[in-house]
Amino acid sequence: MSDAPVQLDVHDVTVTYPNGNTALQDASFRLDGGTICALVGINGSGKSTLFKAIMGFVRPSKGSVQISHGTVAAAQKRNLIAYVPQSEEVDWTFPVSVWDVVMMGRYGYLNFLRIPRAEDRRIVEESLARVGMLDFRDRQIGELSGGQKKRVFLARALAQRGRIILLDEPFTGVDVQTESTIIELLRQLRTEGHLMLVSTHNLGSVPEFCDQVVLVNRTVLACGPTLEVFTEQNLTKAFGGVLRHFRFDESTVQKHDGRTVTVLSDDERPLVFGKGGHLEFSQRQGREEIVKQRAEEPDDE
Amino acid sequence: MIETLLTPLHYQYMVKAILVSGLIGAVCAFLSCFVTLKGWSLMGDALSHAVVPGVAIAYMAGLPFALGAFLTGLLAAVGMGFVKKKTRLREDAVIGVVFTSFFALGLLLISLYPSGIDLRTIIFGNILGIADPDIWQIVIISAVTLTVLGLKWRDLLLFCFDPNQARALGLNVTALHFTLLTLLAATAVAALQTVGACLVVAMLVTPGATAYLLTDRFGKMLAIAVSMGTGTSLVGAYASYFFDGSTGGCIVVLQTVLFLLALVFAPQHGMLAARAKRLAA
Ligand SMILES: Nc1ncnc2c1ncn2[C@@H]1O[C@H](COP(=O)(O)OP(=O)(O)O)[C@@H](O)[C@H]1O
Ligand SMILES: [Mg+2]
Repeated sequence: MSDAPVQLDVHDVTVTYPNGNTALQDASFRLDGGTICALVGINGSGKSTLFKAIMGFVRPSKGSVQISHGTVAAAQKRNLIAYVPQSEEVDWTFPVSVWDVVMMGRYGYLNFLRIPRAEDRRIVEESLARVGMLDFRDRQIGELSGGQKKRVFLARALAQRGRIILLDEPFTGVDVQTESTIIELLRQLRTEGHLMLVSTHNLGSVPEFCDQVVLVNRTVLACGPTLEVFTEQNLTKAFGGVLRHFRFDESTVQKHDGRTVTVLSDDERPLVFGKGGHLEFSQRQGREEIVKQRAEEPDDE
Repeated sequence: MIETLLTPLHYQYMVKAILVSGLIGAVCAFLSCFVTLKGWSLMGDALSHAVVPGVAIAYMAGLPFALGAFLTGLLAAVGMGFVKKKTRLREDAVIGVVFTSFFALGLLLISLYPSGIDLRTIIFGNILGIADPDIWQIVIISAVTLTVLGLKWRDLLLFCFDPNQARALGLNVTALHFTLLTLLAATAVAALQTVGACLVVAMLVTPGATAYLLTDRFGKMLAIAVSMGTGTSLVGAYASYFFDGSTGGCIVVLQTVLFLLALVFAPQHGMLAARAKRLAA
């Protein structure tokens, strides 16, 4: 049952908070299993609100969220949706160990008294091993680094066996190495048919690991494959004037630099657009088709 | 010497007082772990005061005091939730306004209709003079509370730690919220008899707070808090015979002493340990 393909269908969702603030209006998109989809938008654009609507924490005043052709409540009962919270949402001084937290992913499968069976312990152990945190199983959760904390909650989502995993800002406060570990794990999960929706404002990392993008600003502005949606025009629409630019044609970069220009940044990956605003990837490997196709376009110099 | 120490145990009223106090101490301590972790200390204080008008009305109407107390406690909790939802006031202001209104109403009722109950009994408790029917009410409340906590503490723990995860798993978070609130109100009612409305909150917070300083594991925290709550209540009630003082006062002073010891000497989270860590760094 848990290996059946999943589908997430957000249809015309409008969310109005009790204070009358409409955070999302007529938001629609559809995703199938086997994808890592980025949810991109400025602060306050409604990313978390969209998550809350998908998780069933807020009830849309209009429209509906359907998961594998059923309601959100039905999906919860089947443990289909797992959630990796933002670090700020967690009380890190709480007296629970890494093991306890990951076991909380199993509660939906446990009996009335929530006493774990051998099978549940095996799954928790396996999930911890998968994120490389098994050695930390007895640590209190506050005694971990930012990246380790993230991995523990990812392990909880794995232990829950959720087919849809929502990650709210997973790379905030995480070191580069953990970021790579998490990305690698998400890719594995994609091949296993999971559906991952990752909210982020780290634009540069999106082309690296997300195959689809949903752009939001109080509604869904665009959605679809990264290459089509992640264009300069669309991002300008989503972010307005808040993005910083470095335009090579206006810069001191000249012809003699050729293509040996190096772009450095401290923690966030840079996002680079080519002629006419199409997306550029940092690695040619695996993108041979795009490279070939663009090579055939006429040069303008 | 030994003879003197054993004197309290020759009196049946003392034995009853000691045992009932121990039971209440244990129940309050169990709950105190959730109260401290959820940040509901003020709520505990509020409920223990909000039950007072219920006690007054129940005595006047000749009903079991626990019933009336419990009802006004819940009414206050619902009232707080309602006011908070409908206004922009912060939670502490809402709690402060609602519980003092209930308490004031209780005082007014008692002074207007001075029937069987003594104001002092409600505010300071009177475990030494407790009547048998009241003991039964306390025993029933304690049994129900301990059963619910014993069966559902893992769900309540998840609710305190990460309500969103509880919701995502399809648990009924509203039900868990009201379960905890109801247990809190019920326990406040039971504790009223021992330590009185003013000190109930100490029983509902101090053991949990002390245990939290001593461990990083919830299981151990429960064990420490319950041992401490039970021990201090038994000893405090016993000792109050010699001091001829208030039972509630004795129990709470003992708990405070243990709390202060933990605050200073706790191996990881105590003040000395923190200083040692700072020096080592
Ligand atoms: N509980 C709430 N009550 C009222 N308004 C809210 C609430 N939560 C969020 N909002 C508002 O809804 C809008 C979208 O917020 P949010 O979904 O958190 O955005 P993001 O996660 O993209 O930063 C913001 O204007 C925010 O102020
Ligand atoms: Mg957000």
